[in-house]
Amino acid sequence: MKQKITIDPITRLEGHGKIEIFLDEEGEVENAYLQIPELRGFEQFCVDRPAEEMPRITNRICGVCPEAHHMAGTKALDALFDVEPSSAVKKVRELFYQAFYCTDHTVHFYALGGPDFVLGPDSDPAERNILGVIHKVGVDIGMEVINCRKRNHHVIKMLGGRGIHPVAGLPGGWSVSVTEEMRVEIEQIARENVAFAEFSLKLFDDVVLANQDYVDLIVSDAFTHKTYYMGTVDENNQINFYDGMIRVVDPEGKEFIKYHPKDYAEHIAERVEPWTYLKFPYLKAVGWKGFEDGIDSGVYCATPLSRLNATDGMPTPKAQAHYERFYETLGSKKVDGRYQPVHHRLATHWARLIELLYAAERMLELATDPEITEPNLRVAVKTTPTEGIGSVEAPRGTLTHHYKTDENGILTMVNLVVGTTNNYAPIAMSVKKAAQSLITKGTVITEGLLNTIEMAFRNYDPCMSCATHSLPGQMPLEVTIKDADGEVVANLSQFVEK
Amino acid sequence: MKTLIVGLGNPILTDDGVGVKVAYAVEKSLEPNIPKNITVTEASVGGLRLMELMIGYDRVILIDAIMTSNGHDYGHIHELTLEDLRQITPTEHSASAHDTSLVTALDAGKRMGLHMPTAFDIIAVEVENVMDFSDEPTPAVAEAIPIVTKMVLEQL
Repeated sequence: MKQKITIDPITRLEGHGKIEIFLDEEGEVENAYLQIPELRGFEQFCVDRPAEEMPRITNRICGVCPEAHHMAGTKALDALFDVEPSSAVKKVRELFYQAFYCTDHTVHFYALGGPDFVLGPDSDPAERNILGVIHKVGVDIGMEVINCRKRNHHVIKMLGGRGIHPVAGLPGGWSVSVTEEMRVEIEQIARENVAFAEFSLKLFDDVVLANQDYVDLIVSDAFTHKTYYMGTVDENNQINFYDGMIRVVDPEGKEFIKYHPKDYAEHIAERVEPWTYLKFPYLKAVGWKGFEDGIDSGVYCATPLSRLNATDGMPTPKAQAHYERFYETLGSKKVDGRYQPVHHRLATHWARLIELLYAAERMLELATDPEITEPNLRVAVKTTPTEGIGSVEAPRGTLTHHYKTDENGILTMVNLVVGTTNNYAPIAMSVKKAAQSLITKGTVITEGLLNTIEMAFRNYDPCMSCATHSLPGQMPLEVTIKDADGEVVANLSQFVEK
Repeated sequence: MKTLIVGLGNPILTDDGVGVKVAYAVEKSLEPNIPKNITVTEASVGGLRLMELMIGYDRVILIDAIMTSNGHDYGHIHELTLEDLRQITPTEHSASAHDTSLVTALDAGKRMGLHMPTAFDIIAVEVENVMDFSDEPTPAVAEAIPIVTKMVLEQL
């Protein structure tokens, strides 16, 4: 474990999302970051346990995306025990995983990210939630959201063996096979998912894109950062959530690097700053140049927007049509056959819905694949384990699990790079830029500061559950502004118990 | 009356899993003849996901960890109502960073005409450590587990 440098001792934050903003001598914003409480001792907890327990242990790390940890852990076991899953195993796993995406992206849009637009960025924070969305767009749409989640949780339970913490992943295999009866049911669910995703994109059109104020906000400089983008791609350089190569494109859209997930440590390094215990991943080949935009700065981003920017296109037809519309609408030009990246962070919400449609379409493809009902999804493990790395695209970014064991398969080392971690530097930059728009020469315009900052980081869907486990209330937010001497000049908060 | 007993939390995060451990103990006490109108389950996240679990039930007993910073001793057992969650400090897991609070989600459920529970008993244990991975709770919280288990069984 690397040394953790901490300036302000981090006491238990009561789960608050806490923002620290540091001003320089002139009273301008020098640094800002979203403080994420860090859990301790995960590696020590795992070491000396049998490696095959990892998919069931790691899915406990996070209450929000146990499915992603289960899958990355299962894939790390494939590598550890050197067993290549059959094509049927991969398809059943991916089917399970697409159902998870359908639940996760839906809840972010309707309950967390969407309210900023559906109700407006200036609306009362107490109403900017799913209840407000239902009030504005109707009870029927609320039921569509609940039904979408319900039917996909049913699929997750069927295929994952358990409802909340799946258990089906095996080295090289999957313990649940799909019967014809299940397949028919899942096919119907996938069809409903496609319709729901198309409906959600139509809602985005009607509510957001039809409103010029919102479009202006999306493309505004305050919410724009030109960074590198990471995503997993298949052999055609198209998006894949379950498997493939990690591709990074530069801020101009050119492929910068493409590597096998097992080589992550050769390409990604972590920056330690004296003012926070967070470690900021960056691209080794570019180097750390600070919290800076541009081609010379190693900062990269791994989000739905990043995945769209890193791919050459979507593998399913309806998502591809929306993908093209996304780039055309936001003014991206094609260079050497691929769209230039969209850098507007608020467009991540739109990208997330396009991914929702892809997940639904891909789920339907898999549910109608003749191989999906293959009954034999297990393989014998014969190799002595040493080391394994597995990765998937979690909804919040590329997720990597890395295990080492002794010859009996007992863990000696565990390292996880979780989705949100990839985005620590871009989140800090977005928070800083949002703060800069309202703080100059030590003068703080408090009105709208919390809203602006919230919008700046919310599009990343930062999941603190991997780092910590919960937050109370409706995203309590506390902003502390410190001057160059470290004195607190202002404190702002909402939903924080005093 | 259809009753749901939910233990909330992460059982491998020291004291955080106190609710889950109580739920396991309640289930064990009721076995092998768990009444048909009682469901015992665990959950790891609040907000919409937790509300969705409650659809169709009349009554919910929720067990979670809490940090009130009000000078209570570790292991102190709080009995709360839904109004408390609305107005006072929420428990550790009743809200989710990824979506919304349980109270908002329940309001949304009611608004949509879903059958939501009308009776809520919330038992929250004052916890010491929810930052370190361990499957062993701290001593004061461990002592509270059989007491809370008995409280839940007596309420059935």
